[in-house]
Amino acid sequence: MKKAAILVSLVLTVSTLLWVTAWSQEDIVVLDASAFENSQRPPSVFVHEEHNEKAEIEDCNACHHVYDDEGKLVEDESSEDQLCSDCHGLDAEGRQPGLMKAFHVNCKGCHLEQKKGPIMCGECHQRG
Amino acid sequence: MHDVYNFVAGPLVWVAFIVFFGGWLFRLIRMFSLINKKEPFIYTYMSWKYSFRSIFRWMIPFATTNWRRKPVLTIVTFAFHICLIITPIFLLAHIILFDEAWNISWWSLPEGWADVMTLIVIGCCIYFLVRRLKSPEVQFVTYPSDYIILAIVAAPFITGFLAYHQWINYQLMLILHILAGEIMLMAIPFTRLSHMIFSPFTRAYMGSEFGGVRHTRDW
Repeated sequence: MKKAAILVSLVLTVSTLLWVTAWSQEDIVVLDASAFENSQRPPSVFVHEEHNEKAEIEDCNACHHVYDDEGKLVEDESSEDQLCSDCHGLDAEGRQPGLMKAFHVNCKGCHLEQKKGPIMCGECHQRG
Repeated sequence: MHDVYNFVAGPLVWVAFIVFFGGWLFRLIRMFSLINKKEPFIYTYMSWKYSFRSIFRWMIPFATTNWRRKPVLTIVTFAFHICLIITPIFLLAHIILFDEAWNISWWSLPEGWADVMTLIVIGCCIYFLVRRLKSPEVQFVTYPSDYIILAIVAAPFITGFLAYHQWINYQLMLILHILAGEIMLMAIPFTRLSHMIFSPFTRAYMGSEFGGVRHTRDW
């Protein structure tokens, strides 16, 4: 009887622990890669709030930019109410980069400028 | 890590490609100047027809007596060289870096294929190593440097495989991978790997001498 009680409590503890870890996975956010048809890599790890806090970014348009028809950056306007894929198709159109390159240039470009943050493929496209 | 990565993936890439293509050109110029100085008479029987006949014949597996004599080695050699050249040129991650740097891109292999082709290269390197250690006729023409050369060729693929799967230390592995690739490129013109440059000329010469002088095939 005592043995069974120990076993039951052990199972309960382990499953609770597992459940909690599984639950905490929800904190990890990846970029929405649903627009890609044939993804070769896992979606990029990106925790929005933590990133902006760490990087001290207050303006949404630091990333959520708006370009006008002539390809000029529109200051003071932002596009956080849109999906990146609303503008960026899978292929480049004129000077507008395709979706994948837009992500790469937007993230890695800034990280290179700031000399902070991930710049190697697998630092963002992490395998489980 | 930013500084190390930017250095190996920036200036060092330039150095590697300049040494690679510059070395390639240098070895060619030197070869032609040596021919002109010492053996210009070979031009009396050098022939485009026999040259290309030999080159194409030897590019087909089992089309020559020597390819048929050692079928396993033939399969390994062809698989190795095809994967060795195709994989890095059509690797998605490499093309993305070219696209970011120069805005040029081309067709890429599905990553699963590239993964298998990388394993084929590594497997073939192991075969070559065992063959070098075990086979007396290969031992006879083996210098210690040949093992280093084999390691130089295997290293970019082993580190690339480990970095791709993010096993062991990813950041370190990627930097080692880039370094290994640069070392291989720079070693090509100045080691036995220079058969990449000279093999078409070797075949052209053999084809021409056998075809034009001995009136026979060179396969």
